[in-house]
Amino acid sequence: MSTATVSIHEQADVPQPVQHGAPGGFVRHCNILTGIAAGLVLAVVTYFVGSLWLVPWGTTTANYVQVGNDALWAATFIAWVIGFMAGIGAFAGPIRWSLGRDLTHADAEYLAGKDLGRARYWKYTTDHKVVGLQYLVMALVLFGVGGLLAMMIRTELGVTWKEVFSPDFYNAIIGTHGIVMIIAMIIAVAGPLGNFILPIMIGARDMAFPRLNALSFWLLFAAVPPLLISLAMGGIRDGWSVYQPLSAQAPTGAIGYQVTIIVFAFSTGIAAVNLITTTVTMRARGMTWNRVPVFAIGIIASSIMGLIWFPMFQYSQVLALSDRAFGSSFFNPVNGGSVWLYENLFWLLGHPEVYVVVIPATAAMMEIAVVFMRKPLFSYKIAVAGFAGVVGISAIVWVHHMYMTGWAPAANYPFMLSTELISIPFGFLVLVLLGTIWRGKAWTSLPMMAVYVLLWNKVVGGITGVYLSDTPVDQYMHGSMFVVAHFHFMLMGAGLFGAMGAIVYWFPKMTARMFDERIGSIGFWTAFFGFQLTFMSMFVAGLQGQPRRVLQFDNAFNISNWLSTIGAYIIGIGMLIFLAAVITSWRSGVKAPANPWASTSLEWQTQTPVPLENFPVLPVVTSDPYDYGVPDPYDTASSKDQAKQTVGAR
Amino acid sequence: MSTVDQRPLADPEQPEEPTNRPAPRDRFREWIARPYARRIVILTVILTLLIVPVAFLVLHFMNLSGGPASPVMYEIEKTMFVFTVVSAPLMAVTLAILLYSLVGWGRVKAKGLEPPMQESPAIRGNSTATVLWISATSVLAFFLVVWGITELATITAYSYGSTAADQQPNSQKAVVVNVTGQQWVWTFEYPDEQGITSPTLVVPVNRPVYFNVTSLDVVHNFWAVELGIKIDANPGAVTNTGVTPTKLGTFNIRCAELCGLHHAYMETTVKVVTPEEYQAWVREMGGKRMA
Amino acid sequence: MTVTRDIPLSPTTGEPVSVVARRNRLGVWLCIISDVTGVVALLIAYAYLWALNVNGAWAPPKDAFADPVTFWVVALGGIVTAALIWFGYRTVARGGRGVAILALAVLVVLATFILQIVQLSTFPFDIQDGGYASATFWLCIGAAFHLSLVLTLVIGVVGRTRAGLINAANPYHARLVAMYATWAAIAIFLGALFATTMTVSPNTQSPPFGEFQQVPASASASPAASASPAS
Repeated sequence: MSTATVSIHEQADVPQPVQHGAPGGFVRHCNILTGIAAGLVLAVVTYFVGSLWLVPWGTTTANYVQVGNDALWAATFIAWVIGFMAGIGAFAGPIRWSLGRDLTHADAEYLAGKDLGRARYWKYTTDHKVVGLQYLVMALVLFGVGGLLAMMIRTELGVTWKEVFSPDFYNAIIGTHGIVMIIAMIIAVAGPLGNFILPIMIGARDMAFPRLNALSFWLLFAAVPPLLISLAMGGIRDGWSVYQPLSAQAPTGAIGYQVTIIVFAFSTGIAAVNLITTTVTMRARGMTWNRVPVFAIGIIASSIMGLIWFPMFQYSQVLALSDRAFGSSFFNPVNGGSVWLYENLFWLLGHPEVYVVVIPATAAMMEIAVVFMRKPLFSYKIAVAGFAGVVGISAIVWVHHMYMTGWAPAANYPFMLSTELISIPFGFLVLVLLGTIWRGKAWTSLPMMAVYVLLWNKVVGGITGVYLSDTPVDQYMHGSMFVVAHFHFMLMGAGLFGAMGAIVYWFPKMTARMFDERIGSIGFWTAFFGFQLTFMSMFVAGLQGQPRRVLQFDNAFNISNWLSTIGAYIIGIGMLIFLAAVITSWRSGVKAPANPWASTSLEWQTQTPVPLENFPVLPVVTSDPYDYGVPDPYDTASSKDQAKQTVGAR
Repeated sequence: MSTVDQRPLADPEQPEEPTNRPAPRDRFREWIARPYARRIVILTVILTLLIVPVAFLVLHFMNLSGGPASPVMYEIEKTMFVFTVVSAPLMAVTLAILLYSLVGWGRVKAKGLEPPMQESPAIRGNSTATVLWISATSVLAFFLVVWGITELATITAYSYGSTAADQQPNSQKAVVVNVTGQQWVWTFEYPDEQGITSPTLVVPVNRPVYFNVTSLDVVHNFWAVELGIKIDANPGAVTNTGVTPTKLGTFNIRCAELCGLHHAYMETTVKVVTPEEYQAWVREMGGKRMA
Repeated sequence: MTVTRDIPLSPTTGEPVSVVARRNRLGVWLCIISDVTGVVALLIAYAYLWALNVNGAWAPPKDAFADPVTFWVVALGGIVTAALIWFGYRTVARGGRGVAILALAVLVVLATFILQIVQLSTFPFDIQDGGYASATFWLCIGAAFHLSLVLTLVIGVVGRTRAGLINAANPYHARLVAMYATWAAIAIFLGALFATTMTVSPNTQSPPFGEFQQVPASASASPAASASPAS
């Protein structure tokens, strides 16, 4: 380090922040209750002020959109979000910044929840471990809601002889089930584990932007009520993809969907910025790019896709909201709008979103396979190449959702090519997992079984995906139950079962309790077999030609639907057992040792429960975290030169 | 925490040591002689043989309601069959490794809170396996792409996307049908037959039918199930498709895009009839506008 | 020569401020990338509706397109703002007093923002008047949103510079705002470019809504032709 390049400063030049009053300042008075109160007050005020002004201003457009009424509800929902964020203290940071009253160290520690006990889980707390657990509970709640709606859907489809629900309510529950589950799946791994585990895993004291971390969670929290309230106000009757202009016909409650997506996109974007910056800039000394745990790479890959493509979805909903609230015509063909515009904007995120869900779960499975096999990762480079390939190709596959829209039949050829090509990087990921399993003695613990389950489901989902990527086949399958079964194999079979395994694996670190594997396994396997029954039968219904999103159908589809419904109830029972295992283990499980799986990864080296800044002394990394195993007895060719063998991988 | 790795790095200045790698054939012999390798290969073969019949099952389910009623549907089913057969080995090898791993390479359990600390071979990469896997998946993917593009060109030609009707192999004059979707009915208009309209589709067998499709309100999807054609009915745009029905009978038309309240009931039938019956039907409908 | 290095440390994390600055810079870059996609979505929407002219309803009534001059004045305001913030940052980083320059930037961006609002409220058409009206309104709302963000940030930067928190040793926050203002200027410029150059739709024969044009089957030739509703 040459002295010539170092600029010299007097320490006195940098003013130190001054402590005004008790640490934390305004945020001391804020918690979730003040947030909800402020949100409700602002929403109610907006509603009454708006009903005086917006409703008389509004008109009814050519396609019967009630402009004034919809604008009123949009304003009310947005007021709720802003009021909630103000009430929980989210704006204190930016205001203090612009007033020049920076945080002191004591302020920062208060915000991180020091000495706050349980209360920190109900506040705008910046500690990444608190945010991780908040995300975990949020994901469980969303899965509960989405699962309940799924049971209602399958009940309707299982009762083939009459309508259980009215058609409009049925359409509302399929739409709400879809979007609630999509949100839950997006946060299921990257939320709890990306926030709680990733910073410890790379040897950081916290996330790069702790206050943005709290912001991303509480934005999500604020985003969900409009979505659920909309169910009581007529609901989203147009599927999770809310195709236009059908969406314009939905009742006013469906405005909640648009507000939720717009706010959730901010939440996801902020979380993605935070996760990427943390991994890039906060790694421990010695953690070069070939020593970063593969889970962190997976989270980065998923964050990049979310960061780049989520705004497309967000703006599609901004414009859709504008169509309803202001009567503009982006998607209303009578007045110059185009339905294909909506479909393009929507699927530009809509497809990468699947990889946003599946990639973190797959990366988590790699960490798990390594530990429970006590073998090195088969190939770090191929895994990274796989992630990179998926991220790269994911940008150019969206039109395979639009083969049958008639938008650009000539485009079907290149997009068929790109879609089938993406199976090659996916194959890399399968290869790494299979190679890690290869010839290893398996510790058949529940997380390890999730690896097997994920691989099986992913292969089934992948192969059926290859069918669907083929335009001629899609000409039969598009919009049929076959598609539904396929993406449930990917999102639920790979994404959710993977997330379950990952949460069980990191459960001891997150909650300081061991997970009750006996009960948990019963739930896990029940859900797995129910899952196979449900969606294998659904493949059959799709092959026979049952369209999706119908509540009554030809008698020819009865048997497969009955089987599917039975399977769905088995999944429901299994998931409830699994949830019971989560709750009882969390409340009264065996106290967990610091490193119950004998892992070499950094997060298991610190104590349990994890202290406020994660490590008493920051670690220095000297190898990748996959240094397990004994020399290979079959490897006679080069066993005498061990050093050479491992050079490439180190 | 892992300790510092003190093994010396290979010196790039030195010439590479001879590796004494045996010839590929001998290496394969050595590999296949290992008990686990033999068993996994056998298991893969057995599983492949078990999975291939699924292809017939797929066809069975697709044909339950009377298809294929057109060359397009026949090509789609052929594609399904071929895809299932070629992906069977890949699925089988994955399943074989997963199953064998649970029984063949041993399992361990924890005793209480003590991790079992079993010993597994430290395999970091294997160029042979990697090259084999990546070539196999790439070859498969490229085969599927080439097959798919060929098939797409074929069915597009059948559907008149790229081959004009009078250049079709059987150069009969096409029946033109204007399909209008609206919540929640289909209307079929025959512009060449004095614009007669009908809520069900009636078409003559072995004669090309050409569809112009649009919608009056939201996006619908015109799906003639057993004929194997499907196209969105978009408001504000006209889309096209076409087919030559080759089988007499009554088949299903469904809406395959959520279109609101009674989406589930937005279905009708397509009746494929002989030319004589078609002419009779046209005469019967002629002059009586049903719109 | 011995030099006592006294590197300023961040009061919150205890790291050198330049380390924190690098981290923040990456964060701002990522935010900009995300924002780029959003702006691109608006531009796609504009260009798409312009190219398709669905139902012949792209142009506003009486072809009353907006006055192009205002777009360019707003774009110029954005560019001048970004330049001023960069200049202010450089001045502060060299040890000078950049408050006056940054305050000037506040005035410019405020004036631009007000002009943008005036433009939005005096368009010769309503947002409900077809594709051009909707798309132009949203390009301008996007510009107003970017300007208001820049305005808020610059006001904060002026306050912090006056308080001495942004100084020669730690000028990085001004730099972050300058980066964002630059992107905002580019975004507004792109919007102006689209809204002024793409007015009359190239598609003059879009089919009327819900009707079929009587095209003989043999005439509809290539798949590309069926891509556009004009076929």
